[in-house]
Amino acid sequence: MTHPGLATFFRRLALFGMLAGLSLALMAVPRPLSASPGPESYEALRLAAEAFYEIGQKYVQPKDEGELMQGALRGMMNALDPDSSYLTPEEFQEYQRGGRTAPAEAGMELIFKDHLLTAVSVLDEGPAARAGLRPGDHILKINGQLVRNLTTQEGMRRFQGPPGTVIRVQVLRNGLPKPLDVSLTLEPLPPPKLASRVLTGDYGYIRIPYFHDDTPAALAAVLADFRRRQPELKGLILDLRNNARGSLEQAVRTASVLVGDREVVSTRGRKGTESQIFRGKERDLALKKPLPMVVLVDQGTARGAEILSGALQDHGLATLLGEKTFGLCGITRAFPLKDGAAVIMTVAAAYTPKGRKITGNGLVPELEGKKPAPGEAPPVPPAVEQDPWVLQAVEFLRGGPAKAKR
Amino acid sequence: MLAYTPLRKLALLLALVGLVGGAALVMGEPFQPLTPSRETLRLRVGAPSPSPPPLSEAHMQNFSQVLNLIEQHYVEPKPSKEIIYGAIQGAVSALDPHSSFMTPEEFRELQIETKGKFSGIGIEITLKDRILTVVSPIEGTPAFRAGLRAGDQILKIDGKPTRNLSLTEAVKMIRGPKGSKVTLTINRPGFPAPKDFTIVREIIPIRSVKARIVEGGLGYIRVANFQDQTDQDVRGYLTKMHQKLNPMRGLILDLRNDPGGLLEQAVQVADEFLSSGLIVYTQGRTPQQNMRFYARPGQPGEDRSLPMVVLINEGSASASEIVAGALKDQKRAVVAGTKSFGKGSVQTIIPLEDGSALRLTTALYYTPSGQTIQDKGITPDILLKEPEPTDAKALQALREEAMERHMRGEGITDKPWNQPLTLADLEQDMVLKRAVEILRNWPPKIVAQQPAH
Repeated sequence: MTHPGLATFFRRLALFGMLAGLSLALMAVPRPLSASPGPESYEALRLAAEAFYEIGQKYVQPKDEGELMQGALRGMMNALDPDSSYLTPEEFQEYQRGGRTAPAEAGMELIFKDHLLTAVSVLDEGPAARAGLRPGDHILKINGQLVRNLTTQEGMRRFQGPPGTVIRVQVLRNGLPKPLDVSLTLEPLPPPKLASRVLTGDYGYIRIPYFHDDTPAALAAVLADFRRRQPELKGLILDLRNNARGSLEQAVRTASVLVGDREVVSTRGRKGTESQIFRGKERDLALKKPLPMVVLVDQGTARGAEILSGALQDHGLATLLGEKTFGLCGITRAFPLKDGAAVIMTVAAAYTPKGRKITGNGLVPELEGKKPAPGEAPPVPPAVEQDPWVLQAVEFLRGGPAKAKR
Repeated sequence: MLAYTPLRKLALLLALVGLVGGAALVMGEPFQPLTPSRETLRLRVGAPSPSPPPLSEAHMQNFSQVLNLIEQHYVEPKPSKEIIYGAIQGAVSALDPHSSFMTPEEFRELQIETKGKFSGIGIEITLKDRILTVVSPIEGTPAFRAGLRAGDQILKIDGKPTRNLSLTEAVKMIRGPKGSKVTLTINRPGFPAPKDFTIVREIIPIRSVKARIVEGGLGYIRVANFQDQTDQDVRGYLTKMHQKLNPMRGLILDLRNDPGGLLEQAVQVADEFLSSGLIVYTQGRTPQQNMRFYARPGQPGEDRSLPMVVLINEGSASASEIVAGALKDQKRAVVAGTKSFGKGSVQTIIPLEDGSALRLTTALYYTPSGQTIQDKGITPDILLKEPEPTDAKALQALREEAMERHMRGEGITDKPWNQPLTLADLEQDMVLKRAVEILRNWPPKIVAQQPAH
């Protein structure tokens, strides 16, 4: 056969997969399970072969196979979870250069989930926030181009670039009849500023908009400042709403400030390979005398903020108030492929000190935040003093009617 | 003459013009690939059909390497089928926005919707102030006979509270096999306490065509989408109107916001009004995808002395555009409204081995004059704009008002077809009102200026 068609090719592929799987299984002696594709995965491969054959034969115009394959690999990784992505060789190079330290960005944490690019959190006062974007917004178009089959990694990268770059986005928002068109300008983001104030003379309020390597020190400084106050504060409110940017390390170091040398989080993979327990350090502890604490969380609370919330909750140091958190704190690893591309894959889940799984589940607060009546949602975030959940938290700390459910 | 040979008819049944939005409409049976088999394909070598280059070794290795990595390292075991579904979905979305992949469940749902019938009790429902509410019971269905009314609140379905149900979930619970029972707990003003209605499910036809007559011998036919029964229903109304109005002096075919549906049905509906000539042709990669569809004589709408206005807007797509384009090109009707959507591609449903399916763009179609519709749409002969709501709030208010009217049974198509539309009805729809005026002052200037064909 001079031109092996796609089908033949996939038949070979299936075989190859089986062989590769088998040989791996033989090499990795103590793990006979799951390495070789069983009849189920063979059937799945045959299905892929059939689909590729049909596309190759019948699509209205001949299609470049590299593009098809790239689409397939992206789709495959997206089917796992929003943290798992396929990276083209170019994207992987970019990633290795250190994707996070982009010269300028829009200030959003985006994920690609259920075929949609969605803002999990919008960084306080960043370009996206100033353009009016909100957590939960779906990005339909970027510079007029429809968003299709992206990945979380690539979605984030589209909003990074040289300072001053203008990006037009079309946004779908729940409750709006028509999509919104907005423009935003990329900017270098300064390290996050912790906002703090004393409410009604008795309660300290601290907002961490997102995590940064300097966050633990900044938090310790605010706490030291609070401790010097007379009369003494009666409670703390830690605001972690709309905070989806923060690594495991940053979360653990920040938690140290509040929990000392206790366990903060543990991770576990499928075969125990990625198992690890992360504890704080006693010398970092700044909150020597515990104060009653409420942590504000919402659907935009994810990753590092969830780790911190879970630790405070499990050690009985704080009560969570608000809504269920996102459940986005898998431990990912990059696996380079032979052609220079790579996949980023979730290899372990994060668990709270008491063993509750955060990844994929999120944390459920003890106190449900009051929902505004339909049509009453404020168009702009209210000032801290008027924020309904902050008021609810103060009321709870005072021992008022908002008692914990459990 | 290339009329309907059986094979062509089969091909027609299999080709479909997809929808713009999420809701789906598809072909009827039989579900088979457009090409009879792979062997016959190989025999028809004549013109070299450009085949893609074989997959490179690197592509193959990548694919299986990623599969293995997932099996080895992913945080939890994942069914390989889910991963492969993701891969197919990803490959298809590298094609165009109208190509897609359907899981077996999605494919089954699609088949129900396109067959133009389902098994249920026959109510339209909505969420009104977050309460599941009956919009209207469909005449002649079990729900209608059981005495359900527009505005009834459904508090429970088979004892399960509906408070937190989505509309889709509620629909799923109300539907069920023919002959089975469902109990709805209904709250209605005047009931001292909620009352249970137990209703036996039946096969309910989904009607895509509604009609009314207008003073002065005019007929109004509204096609909501193109599914299995559409042409049959259009023809039924045409025949009844001819008998009732005798003589019929004009017809409005309303295709506004009609997202399309089956290619076959578009061709047949256009054929109702044309006695000969090309309706549409398609061009694809393989010779089988190159089809030409011609009109045949002998349908009730063909008489050219019957003036006709076709209404379109930016929500009219694919199958609607085929009908509007053919009637415009053949100068059978005056097309009025605003420019249509511009979706000129044909999708074929290709079922896969395990019950899932591909919806694949296989051809582009062209109007008789050789115009592609893709991205261009159909430009109306007469521009009729719908009055612009001033802002989003006004639009929402308008929608709610229309819904209220519909729930009181006062919408344009909520009354029996043989009850004439009143002036007050027409005031609700300014574009329709203008269309009636055009028919009453026939011929419109634009047509009078052009030489007749």
